[in-house]
Amino acid sequence: MSANPLLEGKQGERHLLLSNEAIVRGALEAGVHVVTCYPGTPSSEVPDTFYKIGGAGKRYYMQYSVNEKVAMEVACGAALSGAMALVTMKHVGLNVAADPLFTTAYTGLPGGLVVLSADDPGFHSSQNEQDNRNYARAASLPCFEPATAQEAKDMTKEAFRVARELEQPVLLRTTTRVSHMRGAVVFGELPEAEQPKVPFERNPMRFVPVPAVSRLRHIALEKQMAKAQALSEASPYNKVTVPASKPADGVIVSGASRNYLADALMAEGWEDKVRVLELGMTWPLPDEKIASFLKDCKRVLVLEENDPLLETYVRALAQKRGLSCEISGKGGVLTIQNEYSTTLLRQALAAWFGGSCEVAVNEPEPNLPGRPPNLCAGCSHRAVFYAARQVFGDGAYYSSDIGCYTLGMLPPLRCADFLFCMGSSVSGGSGFAIGSGKTVVGFIGDSTFFHSGMTGLANAVFNKVDIVVVILDNGTTAMTGHQPNPGMRQDMLGDLCAHLDIESIVRGFGVEQIKKVKAFNLKSVVKAFEEFKDMKGVRVLISEEPCALYARRRLKMGMERYAVVSSQGDDAKRCFETFACPAFCRRDGEYAVDDTLCTGCGMCLQIAPKAFKLVKRG
Amino acid sequence: METQNKIRIYFTGVGGQGSLTATSLLARTALHAGLEVVAGEVHGMAQRGGVVQSVLLLGGWRSPKLDLGEADLLLGFEPLETLRGMPYLRPGGTVFSSTDPMTPVGVNLGKETYPSLEEIKAKVARQAGAVHFLPCRDLGIQAGAVQAGNTVLLAAVCASGILPFGVDVFEDALKRFLPPKLQVANLKALELGRKVYEENCK
Repeated sequence: MSANPLLEGKQGERHLLLSNEAIVRGALEAGVHVVTCYPGTPSSEVPDTFYKIGGAGKRYYMQYSVNEKVAMEVACGAALSGAMALVTMKHVGLNVAADPLFTTAYTGLPGGLVVLSADDPGFHSSQNEQDNRNYARAASLPCFEPATAQEAKDMTKEAFRVARELEQPVLLRTTTRVSHMRGAVVFGELPEAEQPKVPFERNPMRFVPVPAVSRLRHIALEKQMAKAQALSEASPYNKVTVPASKPADGVIVSGASRNYLADALMAEGWEDKVRVLELGMTWPLPDEKIASFLKDCKRVLVLEENDPLLETYVRALAQKRGLSCEISGKGGVLTIQNEYSTTLLRQALAAWFGGSCEVAVNEPEPNLPGRPPNLCAGCSHRAVFYAARQVFGDGAYYSSDIGCYTLGMLPPLRCADFLFCMGSSVSGGSGFAIGSGKTVVGFIGDSTFFHSGMTGLANAVFNKVDIVVVILDNGTTAMTGHQPNPGMRQDMLGDLCAHLDIESIVRGFGVEQIKKVKAFNLKSVVKAFEEFKDMKGVRVLISEEPCALYARRRLKMGMERYAVVSSQGDDAKRCFETFACPAFCRRDGEYAVDDTLCTGCGMCLQIAPKAFKLVKRG
Repeated sequence: METQNKIRIYFTGVGGQGSLTATSLLARTALHAGLEVVAGEVHGMAQRGGVVQSVLLLGGWRSPKLDLGEADLLLGFEPLETLRGMPYLRPGGTVFSSTDPMTPVGVNLGKETYPSLEEIKAKVARQAGAVHFLPCRDLGIQAGAVQAGNTVLLAAVCASGILPFGVDVFEDALKRFLPPKLQVANLKALELGRKVYEENCK
């Protein structure tokens, strides 16, 4: 295999990169020593690329941590010890990791820490669209927001420079459209030798944040952020463009909106109608640069997706400086919901200029057959949900969690009644059981169990909660792309990681009612649920079966057999309606199984033995 | 077909078909041809069987996301998705689409009806300026691999002259970027795509 350009590419080379890959190159150019993460869309390709390109152990150390807080703490520890560290996660992950981050901003981290938060405006694969620029403000983190693949690389490198110079953690905030865009990236120089680490000097009066220390460190933090603001004033990423016509209208813009603005102005030929202040280093904001921009404008429109953070800041600054510039932002088509787009900004600008713009759109064709997300054919989660519904029906409340198995909410399985966040199936389910006195069955995957299900389980045992917890162990982190987790088989983990046994952990927590089953053995799963049904206390079912995609792609398990419908009629109908495997289909009005999708799991045979049989492939 | 030096392309297909790989290949081809390139895709929930959309912008556009009515060219890897994607095409824009249906689960279970190909073609033609439906799967198999059907589609687009580079540049890119073992089938698919455009679409 030829060497990866990210590891070997020379200065000046130009490559087409995903922004998430460009971030990897930027970190390598900076000389990153330690990379930690918890995977989550749209951040996952950053750690996955570090993992894949094979530089680990040579140029850098990397780990998949068990959750974001742990990833953050490992990275903070590394940066404290003097290494340059990168920690990556999706936006909601930063909620989990916020605790160490807020306090390390006080102590400072001499080696330099960059925190990647990949936000998801528009809910492409997330439960909320929180705006993590708020964290930059709340925790006092210098913040960079790239808008192109080139900037993703360059700002990553710059973020490391600032993190080391100020000894402060720096936030690199992307959004889905930036993370998953591809563009040309011109490489900078890759350091020949390992970058120096900053020798750690013991100083408990700085690094042990007891109140007496923290009081002083809060003052130090304020001083560092003043220096960061000076960097922001001088930063080439905060730049003003003034057309020759010197218009009195100005636009202040950051993040992905910079792309939409550029395209909207180009599409309408409006480049000479506005001055533009583009902000790439978005915390601290450059007060002088913004005030000077406001002075040159009669009116300013602020463009930013999600929360009106820039807008509010600019309004406050104008008030403080006594500037009369008219400031607009959210309102009309510009809402805090969803993403912006070129068309949306054309409309917003047209309205702001006092006119309107035509948007011609082809009418959508109504009532087309949909392609909703679904659990795959051969997915072991479907088998366990089927069994749970057979035993508990509507008599239990189903506490779901974050993973593919959230799709258990869909009919006919209907095995998700509520969900908060990673790990909440156990603790949220506990609260539901305590509050309602009802039967609660929680479902959690292996990676999510290690992430934050374990603490909820310890709490449930400690507080003697009545709850059934099902650990759906499919041997990998399936939804985000089969990243390693401690439950993965040792032979798949390799030498650098150790396998942890889920059953031993559960037993070690003091759970007495534990059953371990094979997910595709319907009889044993039903029997386990039936026994649990009449019991009290914490009951844990561990169901094992590798993710069907993982089994095929990585474990190279074949699909030797597939199911066929051997007898039309009520049995086949019942199985179709209650199990609803995506391999089921109708051919000329008859029940059939699509052999290209069927994995031969054998569930249909167990549900309706008279209607299905397995045959050998080929 | 008139060349558009600044062009916004919308790709739509079904998970597992390789439309993201096709997007990336065409993006690399364009970069290789010295053009300004931005591509965008959405990962995550898009798994086997779900709708997968991506975009490619050439010649100076910057936004890796297309809103309704913004695409000049729609490349459909599956006819139902071509029809579903039509609101993204600007009225009067150009469509190249495969004719090979992949039936969704609701259709497989007999709960929903897949529109006939004739119906899809007629509806697409009403909203687009130029429409070309091609039997990509058959031609891909003829070339030696069903996946090469995507190359048939891309080659036909390049041969049409709508892009700021021609099929020869695409051929050069295939030789440069594809692993050797995939080249034979894909270069044959390229010839078939060029031929099918010249014989049926001009």
